[in-house]
Amino acid sequence: MNYFVPVRSVLSAVVYPVQALASMPSDVGDWFSKFFQDHKKLTTKITALEANDLLNSFRLQKLQALERENMRLRKLLGSSFRIQERVLVAEMLTIDLDPSSQQVVIDKGAQSGLFSGQPVLDATGVMGQVIEVGPFSSRILLLTDPSHAIPVQINRNGLRAVAIGRGLGKKLQLDHLPHNADVRKGDLLVTSGLGGMFPVGYPVGTIDVISNIQGKIFAEIRVKPAAQLETSREVLLVLPTVKVVVPDSEPSLAEDEQ
Amino acid sequence: MAMSKVSNGGSIIIFSIIIAILLVLVPLPEELRFARPEWVVMTLIYWSMALPRRVGVGFAWVTGLLMDIILGGILGVYAFVYALVVYLIARFHLQLRQYPLWQQALTIMSLVLLVHVLTVVLSPKSAGWQLWLPAVTSTIMWPFVYAILRKCRRTFHVS
Repeated sequence: MNYFVPVRSVLSAVVYPVQALASMPSDVGDWFSKFFQDHKKLTTKITALEANDLLNSFRLQKLQALERENMRLRKLLGSSFRIQERVLVAEMLTIDLDPSSQQVVIDKGAQSGLFSGQPVLDATGVMGQVIEVGPFSSRILLLTDPSHAIPVQINRNGLRAVAIGRGLGKKLQLDHLPHNADVRKGDLLVTSGLGGMFPVGYPVGTIDVISNIQGKIFAEIRVKPAAQLETSREVLLVLPTVKVVVPDSEPSLAEDEQ
Repeated sequence: MAMSKVSNGGSIIIFSIIIAILLVLVPLPEELRFARPEWVVMTLIYWSMALPRRVGVGFAWVTGLLMDIILGGILGVYAFVYALVVYLIARFHLQLRQYPLWQQALTIMSLVLLVHVLTVVLSPKSAGWQLWLPAVTSTIMWPFVYAILRKCRRTFHVS
């Protein structure tokens, strides 16, 4: 079944120059618009970014305290481990592929340590996963592709479900949830970590429409993806998680403050 | 002398195919994405019609394989479809050359429809009626592609 993976990998290195060339006009356009930005615009942008940075570091302080508390509670439960996640930044090539399947090409490949099945995020949520790795480029399947499904849970109550893509620009669908399932409009869905592909707790989307059609067995639930699938250029690739087991005897505070 | 002419012509054919692939990849606005003409099919058809000895089934198969990799579909779908189209052209190129341009364009439409029917059958797709738009746009674009490639062929003496 997978005999052709190395063939594809080699051939994708052959066609990468063509793809990079096709991506060039918009890259050059970006460069020019960056180069000729006026001073005032840049100043306002920097001010906004600084304010955002301040807000983020404030939230991070709180997060550290929460993480420490979480560790202590986990210790009480007897399952104390911490998951370290690292990410790698890659950029999309601005090329159009087959419009009926949602795939994008990014400019990092096996040489940067990417692998098939790797989760891909952007600044606001899960984007999809890597499906094909070449030496210098790789291909990402987006959440919205009809052949993509992602295990999720509702952040409010932990109800688990599977979100399935329905095509670009369309919302995701939650399958096989009964009419009386505890789902409300606006609920945040996060990855549940089941299936072992995606790490736990990254936002996938929010519940947008719930329609209980009489005569159907399951409720029709639509989910608006959290990631900005149409506008993001930079993507984050999650590197394999390292499970760090915290030994029982060691005081957890000292361990955390390294 | 003859040898150098032949190698010169080959580079022109490959260059035109690369340009066609670039046109397939260049980003279009969301509304126009489904209407993108089949540039690579049209270029292959022109060359196999004009020079059936140089651009044959094998050339089309390799081009199709590269398109499979570039567009990320199932390996071999485009390779098979392009080879089939070029086979049909090679079979009927003498008749096709005699047709007026509009009749050629209708032939292109049927061939692009064939390409789409086969890719739909061979690989799962999720599009509606827009899937058939490229056949129409390719038909409209064919006279221009034909004129440009014929100009290229005559200027660079590709034979």
